[in-house]
This record gives sequence, structure tokens and C-alpha cells, in this order.
Amino acid sequence: MSSSQRSDLQSDAVSSHKGFKVLGLHGGRHIEKAGRPGEASALDNINSATVGEISSFLDEAGHNQETSRIPAGIIIAGPSAPHTSLATQLAKHENDSDSNRIFVTLSSGSGSHLKAILKTLIQKATSRQSALDDETDEVQTTKQKSTKLLSYDLQLLHDFVTERHLQQVVVTIDDTEAFDSDLLSELIELFGYWRNRIPFVLLLNLATSVDFLQQRLTQAAVKCLSGRLFDVAPSSDVLEQVLDAVTSSDAPSYLGPIVMGAALERQSDYIQSIDGFVDALQYAYMSNFYANPLSLFLKPTLVREEVPDDHFEALRTTNSFRAWARRLLDKNRATEVKKVLQDNGALFDLARRGIGDGRATLNGMMLAVTVVRTLQQSLPNTFVSRKSSLYVQAMSGKLAGSAMLRALHLTVRKVPSDTAVKILQSVLALSIEDRALSECADVATELDELVRAQAEAGKPLRSEEDIRNSTLRTTVHAQKVELSKHKTSLSQQDKDFTALLRRFTDILTRFFSETLVNPKTLLFNEIFVYDLRSPHREVFTPRPRHAIERALASPHDYLDCECCAPDAEEREEATLAATQPGTAILYQLYLESGSLINASDLWQAFQAVMGEEREEGQTRALFQRALAELRALGMVKSTRKRVDHIAKVAWRGL
Amino acid sequence: MGLEQLPDELLLTLTDRFPCRDQPLQQLKALLSPALPSPSTLVVYGPHATGKSSIIKAFLDQQRPKQRHAVVQCRECITGRHLLERTVAAVREAVLNDEPEHDSGEPEARANPTTYPGRCETLSALEVHLQHLLENQGKFTLALDGVDKQRDAPPTLLPALARMGDMIPNLTLILIVQHPPPRFLHQTGVPHIHFPPYSRNQSLHVLSRQPPDIFVESPPDDMDHDDETHEEDKRWLWPRFCAAIWDSLAQNAARDLTSFHEVCQRLWRPFVAPIVKGDFGTRDFSRLVIAQRRLFQDESILLTSILSPPTPQTSTPTPQTQTQTQTQPKPQTHDLPYYAKWLLIAAYLASFNPARLDALYFMKTTDRKRRKKGGGTARTPTRRPSQTRKIPRHLLAPASFTLDRLLAILHAILPHDLRTTIDMYTQIATLTSLRLLVRSGGIGSSDPLEAGGKWRVGPAVNWEYAQGVARSLDFGLLDYVAE
Repeated sequence: MSSSQRSDLQSDAVSSHKGFKVLGLHGGRHIEKAGRPGEASALDNINSATVGEISSFLDEAGHNQETSRIPAGIIIAGPSAPHTSLATQLAKHENDSDSNRIFVTLSSGSGSHLKAILKTLIQKATSRQSALDDETDEVQTTKQKSTKLLSYDLQLLHDFVTERHLQQVVVTIDDTEAFDSDLLSELIELFGYWRNRIPFVLLLNLATSVDFLQQRLTQAAVKCLSGRLFDVAPSSDVLEQVLDAVTSSDAPSYLGPIVMGAALERQSDYIQSIDGFVDALQYAYMSNFYANPLSLFLKPTLVREEVPDDHFEALRTTNSFRAWARRLLDKNRATEVKKVLQDNGALFDLARRGIGDGRATLNGMMLAVTVVRTLQQSLPNTFVSRKSSLYVQAMSGKLAGSAMLRALHLTVRKVPSDTAVKILQSVLALSIEDRALSECADVATELDELVRAQAEAGKPLRSEEDIRNSTLRTTVHAQKVELSKHKTSLSQQDKDFTALLRRFTDILTRFFSETLVNPKTLLFNEIFVYDLRSPHREVFTPRPRHAIERALASPHDYLDCECCAPDAEEREEATLAATQPGTAILYQLYLESGSLINASDLWQAFQAVMGEEREEGQTRALFQRALAELRALGMVKSTRKRVDHIAKVAWRGL
Repeated sequence: MGLEQLPDELLLTLTDRFPCRDQPLQQLKALLSPALPSPSTLVVYGPHATGKSSIIKAFLDQQRPKQRHAVVQCRECITGRHLLERTVAAVREAVLNDEPEHDSGEPEARANPTTYPGRCETLSALEVHLQHLLENQGKFTLALDGVDKQRDAPPTLLPALARMGDMIPNLTLILIVQHPPPRFLHQTGVPHIHFPPYSRNQSLHVLSRQPPDIFVESPPDDMDHDDETHEEDKRWLWPRFCAAIWDSLAQNAARDLTSFHEVCQRLWRPFVAPIVKGDFGTRDFSRLVIAQRRLFQDESILLTSILSPPTPQTSTPTPQTQTQTQTQPKPQTHDLPYYAKWLLIAAYLASFNPARLDALYFMKTTDRKRRKKGGGTARTPTRRPSQTRKIPRHLLAPASFTLDRLLAILHAILPHDLRTTIDMYTQIATLTSLRLLVRSGGIGSSDPLEAGGKWRVGPAVNWEYAQGVARSLDFGLLDYVAE
């Protein structure tokens, strides 16, 4: 099979992947257009509520023009910028409704002084395409006024607004904190002066707090604003939504616990914007589809003839296949194994079946995670675990038999009947077609009958395990305190209820033990579970400083030259040798010295390492170049304390 | 055609619009009288909110016979050149607009403005332009509002403007300034008109002219209130209320008319709420004041805030709800990421601990605890109190530190090992863009690649903030702060 055919197949597999569609990534040439048309990207819907609020705020501000203060929407967006600026989302939102508004986004990079920033503002607002020349500030006005205006004159914007009958000019400031305080104050004051002619509305993206903003603005600027607070969805919620979208049913491949765990950890440790997480997911999917040839088998319409032979060889070497063969051999079913080993067709069928089964199992696992969360939500006083943490636990096979699950069982057994009804209803509302859970319906109907019978009594049924149904009795016997538990006698209904609850928890136990399996034990899990840590780590968390330091400290590891190969016995410590690059030698000398280094001493040490046989001029040239390189790397700088010394600026291992 | 009387009529209408400004108006009338020659330059000065700009504007607009004039708002001009260009444009517009009435004007006078090339970069150019524009014209008045606050003004702006009238005889220049320093025009004999701040009685008089409604909706029927009595009542109640506000709050903190007016407007709705509810009659002023005395004691009303909507339309019925709207329900805070918090703490420590004590506080040695308590040095107990008083370190401005010191401290205080990746540098960049870390001075501080660049914690990171962050990480900040 030619390589182009192969890549076509791969891209088919890619494009049929749900995760890609959800995350808005389109790879490959044959993108299936037949996807559900109404399915919007999950990312677009994240802040739709906030966007709606802000849009109604803008409408309100548009009707209330006479106030002298500038209406300002203050959006608390958290320390990291949202994945797409809210303004773009707003603009998109606004495109649907036909209102006369223009959106201008300013960021701290738009200009360092008022003039530059006003130029940017006017240029963006009037969408003048050509970048204005810095030399000539004049701009011919659109009107036949024959006067020329300066390019930073808001009169231009005013003319534009009157000409187009605009109702609002919405200025969004993306990184309010990064603005210079004076500049921001001046800008706001200026907007305030023009407020009676240009209908400005401000949207400020804040990462810290309003108080902080208020401290930084001048009093006059504060007086110009009348603000309203808006809140975007916290990043953890956004994360859950993305995860929901990715793990929803019919996902062809799943991310393993290590990759997912690493991505989640990085998310909470370092970044808060969803961008990083989405990138990590996309990269993981791409790694699976482009770097794992066996992912070819994920293509739904694959036929035997399309698969090259070497792929079958690769299938036979997977760990899960070997484990499967070992299991069968232990059961003395050698013929089956033999057939699969010899016949590619049989192996193809097995692979398709294995992948289908495995994916169904994982799908069931996701359902189990949902059930756990539903139970937690309907039980009072129970902490609802995050889906992300449950996912990682389930995928690493640790959720089954975890303490959390056991505690959940015990709590369910103790609930009174009114809560039990609620739990059953919410579990049934999930409408899972599973054999184990289908019995829940029977339990629910029986429980309904019981509760209806009990309705006159006016108090809920209590199970045997309920804490109110057992009393603790203390007796003093031979100067020892004895604690004994006594069950209060239960009514017949209570007994029936207890039995029902037991049945329910038994169903749950069975369901969980069936669904929560370790994905590592599934046949061909290498294909549909991607779990390689190192690509993710190398790509997303490189260590530039460490790399430079290490390369300088042991250049042989990178150059692999014969001249400076260390002796086999003294392997551990990289030694100084004249054959090493000058910068590396100087760096190692540098590591040994204090915070102030005498340049002459350094030169002598360098000369000693390089050896006497070399010409001094050459050595000096090498030395000077090495020193210049260290300086360019930001490791040394000249100091004013001592003229003939250099100061050490960077320490190793930070 | 009683030319003399007409300005008096003008004066009457103006005194009606702007009460308590009789003296400045008289002076203006004398100096800008169309019949008499006017001074070439006139300085109008007075503190904020004393009616300078609006009176000048109204005076010029309503002058009879109509005189040509232009008003330029200097605060809207970004640069000195911007001011000059706008001045020329404004004068030109004023001259051109009058043109139809002056059809008999010489053709050159009309031709000149149209050939205006649209460039006015220097003061001399302004001079030339104005000369051209005003050639063979009648008296022209040009008012520059707030010219002392002009951004990027050339240093010779004010003296040059003051001499403009000498070159162009028919021009009268009005400079509206707040507090003119002595000899700021480098010229003597320039007439000044002072707009004094409003006194208590004057403020009350001005404010009482427009009493706001007591009842927003029509009052319940049983109070037999019609519009007339309502009108009368609010005329009675509002001045008394304003006087009470002045005596309690405004005379110390909101003396100028606009802020006084704003405070009154903000407190009016809560003040009359009991009347609207029907607890008090409209004339029960003294009882009402006693019942509502909390309003007059709460000074937080004087603070301006971005968030509180102080527009009188969206008023709140009771003071309780008003304070609620001011302290809006805090939205859930977006926490910093885990390592950003540690970085902030490390940066705080690096800023407020002297570098020479780092070994003492951050070395991972066993005797750290003992030495930190100050047991080591022998001479401490008998030491006399030092001559210079030591200011607690956390009250001083943050000191700058190098990036490596920050990272070293971070490694020292972290409870676990850290694999420094590029994310850490991203965090530093993020914190810098949030102004929680700032690059501090020194040579080459503008260059981010400069080796050994210095940093500081931002002004928002004070002791309380750092303490809060440390608490959220369960980190004993106090153990590490040198004091």
C-alpha cells in the first residue's frame, strides 16, 4: 500500500474522531461533513450565560444614554486570559442581532502613550485598513469639511459615529492590569469628556480585583465610570465541560490516566486558561492517530484488504495480545491462538471485536462515573467529586474498591425513604441501558408502593442501618464500661425498606464491579487508550534553562565525540578537557567560583585547561569568545563593584 | 435702538441661569462689551466647579449683537499641536459660519480661509493662520478652556498666547485656568476675573432651585396629596435637607458644588424613604433628621467607587439596601494557580528580607530554627536601643531582587521538589502582566533580556495580601520574614 493511501486512511480515522470535532480541530483531507449540524463547539458555549448578560447590559446602556458616566462592564476573568476574548464572543453574538455597535479591543500592547493608543482605537474603530504612517499624523476626513484632522483626534471617531448612526462604541480592554495606571486613567477621563458626543461603553477584563483597579485609577477617572460586575465561568467548570464533551459516548479513543493526570495537574498548578488543556488533548489525539500506526483499526469502515501486513505483525507484538494469548493457552485453547497467529483475517476480526468490546467497556466506565456523581449529588452532605479526578481514578483502575465508593455504599444504605426515592429517580433519569441497572426500575416501583402505604404515617421509612435505629448503651460491669449497640425493633415496612435498599446497593455493587475494570487488561487497549507520558512532557513542559546548563556542563553527552569521551571507570563526573568547546570549559570554571570572579584568574585557569602547547593568541580568542557567549546567555555581567571582576548572575539548578 | 440696554438683558438672563455669580458677570460684561474695546488677553480663574466654563460659554453665545467667538476644550487635546490645530479649525469654522451674513466682506477675506492648508505645527504658524483668518474681520473672541492643564504643551505656550492679541488687534483671548501661578504669562497688566468658590449659603441657594421629587410614584390616595402640595413640600424640604448635609458631611469633604450636589442626590432617596412609606409627614423635618441620623454620620457615601451606581434614578429605598449595593456581592474569586501563589510569596520574601539574611532563613540546615530565633549572637542582650528608630521592614517600599534569588527562595520554601519547566517562566510573565511583579529600575531595566535584571513585588502585594496567599497554601510566612 502506498504511503498516500495510508495517510488518507489515517485522516479518515482522525476526522471521524469526536474529540476533534468538539475541540474545533479539523485534520486530514476527508473531513466528514455529515456530522450533526446543530452541534456547536463546546468551547463556544462555555461563557454563553455571561455573554448574554453583558449583551443585555449593553442594550440597557444603549437606552440610557443621558448619564454622564461611562457604563463600564467589569469582567472578572481570572489570571489567565480566557480562551477567546469575550469581546469576540460578544461580537459574534451581536452579529446575529442587528444593532448599531462597533467593538474595539485594546490591549496594553496597543501603545505606550495616549497618542498611540488613540490612534489604534480610531484605526480599529473606523477599520481603516492601511496602517497609518507615523510620520504624518494628518488624516483627511471622510466628510467634505476640507479640514484635516490629526490621526489621534477623537473627532474622527465622532464623525464616523454620526455618519453611520452608531449607537454604541464598545471599547474592550483585554489586560487592564498590564496598562500603565496613568495611561488608563487619562484614557478613561478622555472618554468621559467625549461621552456626550461619542456613546462609549467600556468593558474591562480584570484578573485581580476591582479594589486594585480603583487604587490605580485617578479619582477623576473613577468618577467617570459606573461599573457593573460580570463573572466568567471559573476555569475548573470549563475544564469539566470540555471533559464531558470529550468523554461523551461514542468516543473512539480515550486518554489514559497518566496523560490525563499530567494535563490536569499542569492545569491546576500553572495555568488556568482552558487553552493549554485543549492543546494537550489535541496533541494527545494527534499523537495517537499519527504516531501510532495501529490506530488505523479505529476507522469504522475499515476492511481487511486496506490493512498492510506489517500492521498485523505489530498487532501480535502488543502486550495485551500476548496476555490474551497466554490466558487462552492456560485454558488449553491453543487452536484459537494458533489460528490468530497464522491467519491475518482472523486477527483482523479479533482486533475489530476487541476494539469494539473495549470501547464499549470504557463507555460503560464513563457511565459508571456519571452514576457515582449522580449518587453523590442526590445524597445530602456528600462531597461531589470532580469528574476529572474520577476519570483518572477509573482509567487507572483504582476506582473499583476505592474507599470513596465503599463509603458511598454505606451512606446509601442509611438513607431514609424520601432520599431513597430521589436517588432512584435520578439514577433512572440517566436512562442507562444496562442489564444490572434495569433492575432499579423494579426496586423503584416497589419502593413507590411502600412509600405510598406509609404516606399516612407522615414520616419517612428508616432502614436498619440508619443511625437513629440503633442505640448505644453503656453498662458498667466490674468497673469496666461496656458499650453495646442495640437495634430498635423495626416495623414490617421498615424491614421491607431495608431489604429494598440492600437490593439496590447490591445492584450498584454489581454494576460497578462490571463496569469499573482496569483498562490495561482490555485486549488491544494500546489502540484505543493513549497513555504515553513523555511526548506530552517534552512538548508542553520543556526546560530551556536546564537544557543549556546541562549541555554546558557535560558537552560530551551531546557532541558524542571521541576526543573528549571520559574514561570508562570515572564515568560519573564530567571532567575538563582541552578538546571541549571553550564555552563549556569556561562554564565549568564559572560554576566553581564565587559570586565575583576575577577575570585574570579566570583567564589563567582557562589557559591551564587548554594547555601550554596551543598558541596564546588562539587561546585568548577562544577565551574571549567563550566569555562573550556566557554573557549573551545571561550568566555573567560586568560589575561596578570591582572593575577587573565579572559578576555571576545565574546559579545552576534553579 | 437701545444698544446699551441689550447687554443688561443678557446680564439678567445670565444671572437668572447662574445665581450668585453677579460680580464676575459684571466684570465680564465690562471687559467684553461689544461697544468698548476689550483687552487683548483675559484670564478667568477660580477653583473647580465654580461655573467658569459654562458662564463664559453662555455669555459668548448670548451676546447681542452676535459676536464671533470660538471655545476650545484643551482637555480634549492630546498634544500641543493638537491644540493648535483645533484652535485654527474652530476659529475657521466660526468665521466661515458667519460668512453668509457678511456677504459684503472683501473677496480676499473669504478666499483666505479656504486656502487654509491644514497644517499648524508651531505657535508661530498659529499666529500666521489667525492673522490670515481674522484679517478685516470684526471683534473675535477665542476662549481656551483649561489651558493650564494642557498635555504635552510647549513651554512657551502660555506666554506666546498672551502676546497673540498684540499681533492681532481684533482678537480677544480668554484663558480659563484653575489656579494661575504668579507671572505665568510673563506679562503684566492682564486683567484677571476671579470666580470664587460658592459659600454655604450660595451653594444651598443654587441647589435649592431644583428640588427633586419626594414621591417617585404617585402617593397613596389617603394622604390627599396633589401635585401642587407636592411641589410646595419638596421646595420646603429639599433646602433644609441640603443644609443638613452641608453641615454634617459636605462642608468638610464635598465643598464644591458638583460633589455636594452628588452627595445630596445620593442621600435624598434613602432620606425621604420614611415619608414615602408614610411613617412621617412631609413637614416633619426635625423628627425625620433624628430618625435618619445614620445617613448623616456615614462617611462612606463620600467615597467614589467604580461599582456603586449613584445615579438618582436607580435609587434605593432604605440605607440598608444602599450599603448592600455598594458592597456588591463578591463574585467567586478566581484563584491564582498553585505555583503562582508560591512565586508571589517567594517574591514577597525576596523583596522584604535583606539578601544578607537569606542564608539564615532559607538554608536547609538543622540549626535553622535556633539561629532564626536570634540565639546566636552574643552581643544582643546588653545592646542599648539604637539611636535611629527602625521602621518595620514591611512598611517600607519593597526592595528589588534578581530573578535567581527569587527562584532560589522558591526552591527553599516549597514543601516538595520542583521540576522547573517553561511553565514557571510563563507564570513570572503572567504575574508581571498583572503587575503583581514589576521590573524595577536600574540600568537596562527596560530590556527583559538583560542579565541580572531586577524585579520587585507590585504595589498591590502588601503584608496582608501576602499573608492571605500564604494562608491559602498553609505556609507559615511569619517564620520566614526577617524583622
